[in-house]
Formats: sequence, C-alpha cells, structure tokens
Amino acid sequence: MEAKHLTHSTPKPDTGAGEWKFSDLIAEPHVRERWDRVRRYFFLRESTYDMTNRCNIRCEGCYYYEGEKQHAHEVGDPEKWRSLMKSEKARGITYVVLAGAEPSLVPELLTVCHEEMPLGAIATNGLKWIPGSIGYKIHISVWGNDDTSQRVRGAKQMLQRQIENYRGDARAVFVYTFTPHNIAEADQVTRILAREGCKITFNVFSSPVGYTGALRHTESSLRQTRQAMLNLLQRYPETVLYSHYNAVAHTHHLGLHALFGCSYPRCNPSTDIGLGRSFRQYRTDLNWDRDAACCVPDTDCRDCRHYAAGSAVVTARLFRHASEPDVFASWLDYVDTYLAVWVTGYDKGVNLCQRWVAPPGHDLF
Amino acid sequence: MDVATELDKMMHRVAEIMINELKLEDVTPETFDPDIDLVDEVGIDSMDLATVALVLRDEYAVRIDEDDYPKLTTVRLISEYLLKKIEAKV
Repeated sequence: MEAKHLTHSTPKPDTGAGEWKFSDLIAEPHVRERWDRVRRYFFLRESTYDMTNRCNIRCEGCYYYEGEKQHAHEVGDPEKWRSLMKSEKARGITYVVLAGAEPSLVPELLTVCHEEMPLGAIATNGLKWIPGSIGYKIHISVWGNDDTSQRVRGAKQMLQRQIENYRGDARAVFVYTFTPHNIAEADQVTRILAREGCKITFNVFSSPVGYTGALRHTESSLRQTRQAMLNLLQRYPETVLYSHYNAVAHTHHLGLHALFGCSYPRCNPSTDIGLGRSFRQYRTDLNWDRDAACCVPDTDCRDCRHYAAGSAVVTARLFRHASEPDVFASWLDYVDTYLAVWVTGYDKGVNLCQRWVAPPGHDLF
Repeated sequence: MDVATELDKMMHRVAEIMINELKLEDVTPETFDPDIDLVDEVGIDSMDLATVALVLRDEYAVRIDEDDYPKLTTVRLISEYLLKKIEAKV
C-alpha cells in the first residue's frame, strides 16, 4: 500500500491564531474521508474493570499486583456484573476495558459483560482461550521472546501458546511492551506474528509508583525503542498497527501527562466533561476510587507512556492538533491506530503522515 | 449595536453549528434552548465540543482553549465566551 501525502499548495489561511482553518485541513478527500471515519467513534465513553484478583502467571513489574486493588474481594456473581453493566450503560458508558488480574479465568463474567455492553476490550496474557462468542477485542500481552517471557513471567513457550490460542482470530491484537531489555527481540516476535497472520501493536513499559527496577526506561532506551518501532512498522506494514506519531508520543522523554495533559480522573480534577466526568476504574469488589482512577492504576504518572493511556489522552487533544496538515494527519493516524486496536470491526487505514512530527508545543524527543 | 441582539445572533449561529456538526435531531436553531446543559441533557462530550470549537475557530478566528471546555456547558455560555474573545481582539 502506498501512503497518500498531504499536498496542500494553497497559502496558509489565517484563522487569526496562526493556524490553518479546519475546513482547509480536511479539504483533501483522503483526509476528509479519514476524519469522517474516525469521528463516527467519538461516542465511545470508556471505563475499566478488574475482573478477578487471580492470575495464572506472575510477571515482574505487573501493575495489578501493585497498590491496594489486589486486596479487593472478588465479586463472582454474574448477575451482579450484569447489574453493574446496566448501570454503567445508564450513566453513558459505551465501551468497557476488562482487565486485571487475568480476565480469561472468569469467562462467565466476560459473557455477561458482553451481553450488556457490546463494545470493549479484554487485556489478557493469552494463555487461556476466551470463547469466540465474546466479541471484544482481545489484547494479548507480550514482553519479549520466549526466553525473556520465561524469565520475567515464569511461563514456558508463551508466544507459541498465545498464537495457538489466537491464530486467525480477528479479535486478537498482540501488544508488545518495550522494556530497555527486549528492544532487539521485537523483530523476532513481529516476524513470527507476521508469519502467522497475527496483528501486533506496541506498548512502552511505564513504571508503577515506587518502582526502581531495571525495566524503567532511560532516554537512550526510548530513542532505541522509537527506532525499533519505525523499523518494524516499515518492514511489516500489514502486521503492525502503529504510526510514526504513535512512536513519537510514546517514546518522548516526557511522559504522556507532561506532553498532553492526562484527562483521567487521577490527574484531572474536573468532573464537568470528558474522562474526568465519566471514567471509572472498578476493582474486583465493584467499587471505585476517583483518586486512583485511570486506565492503568498505580502507574507513576511522570513515567506513563502506556498504550491504553495514550489512546484516550492523545485522542482527546483534537483541538491542539488541528493546526497544520502534517500535525493533523498525524493525529488522524493516531486515532485510526487506536480504533483499529480497540474496536472490533475497525480496520486500520494507510497512515497519512509518514514522517516524524513533534507533539504540539514540544520538540521531537 | 445592541448587546442582546449580538448575543441572540451568536446563540443562533452556535446552535446552528451544533445541530449541523453533531447531527442533532428534532431541534432547530430557533427551538434550541440556549440554557440547556449540553453535557447533561444533550449528551455532548469533549470530542464533540472540540469539533464545534474548530468550526467556530474557522468562522470567528478565535480559539476556544481546551482548558475552558468544562465551563462552556450551554449555547449561551459558549456565545458569551466567543463575544468576549471577539471584543478583546478589536
């Protein structure tokens, strides 16, 4: 597939604020088409839910087993989950992220959630197959090749088992988390997934609060990660769900909060509109705490480059990205990636901007 | 110019843009209640407001700062905000 490039040749229209007019930014048919396509999903309002406090493996740096949430008691009654989903729908939630600790261990709860709320995603380690009737996107965590997975996750032949469970499953997206120590392994993993016809997207390890271990990124490892992401995107365009701008946003020396202003309740006191108003992060006891509410609780906000956070935080910053053609195209690529990763039935388009673009108000790195 | 008239005109135009951009049904600029809560009662969210803000930026050459979204909860408040910004430019 060949990328279409923005070819604006008209003089920069003056909005009085030194920016392009929005109507001119979307004047080119392929940009307009993408804008019209992504804006159909602006109705998505997410919340996240820990499904169980059990897991079938134990990984170094796991977010779930940090902080207090791991001690919440489990509510295993499907009807209580059905009731929760109904009340969530009533308050405007249209999208659920089912995570923590390992949702595949409670398929009866996943089924009930899906019956009540048809759009969503499940974060899983992929070792136990989730029935096909549960039509959510399934995000399968990958932390390196099988040697690395065995070392840091204590599971043998992890990638092979994950592929056996989800080969040919349109729900599945493998999520490769870059740490400073597995950057080179991403090529091997992506090659295998490409051969098997699977899809992959990228995450960047973001330290839990208080974490001082070796997985915390440095500027050097972030630069290497960015380059590795680009190499894989170019080499496996049919397999990798990502864009240049995704790589910039998630490997910048500043975290997502510093770059874009995180709008999850934990960082955002406003309850008037957007995530600050609607987002909740439920624990396994079906309670939630506004002070802890974000997509990956117990992450150190200064180090947050999490793919789930970016999907909301970058996407929400439409206005500041509508400044010039390449910046807006980069934002569209980011949103297009987010939708392809998170929404069942949404297929990734060709990236509109295939060069590095800095986040508004910041340098490239 | 009569301030009330200016505000009325702006509210009419903002309502028109809202209806067109957000595909709102069963309402016209004439029947759009300028004091209805856009978030609570119309169901508009931050992405919708950003879209409307971009169209308004094109038309009036003024920015609606992202930080100001939370307080712009009605057509009247948006219109007053815009008029203040326009007046500050003159």
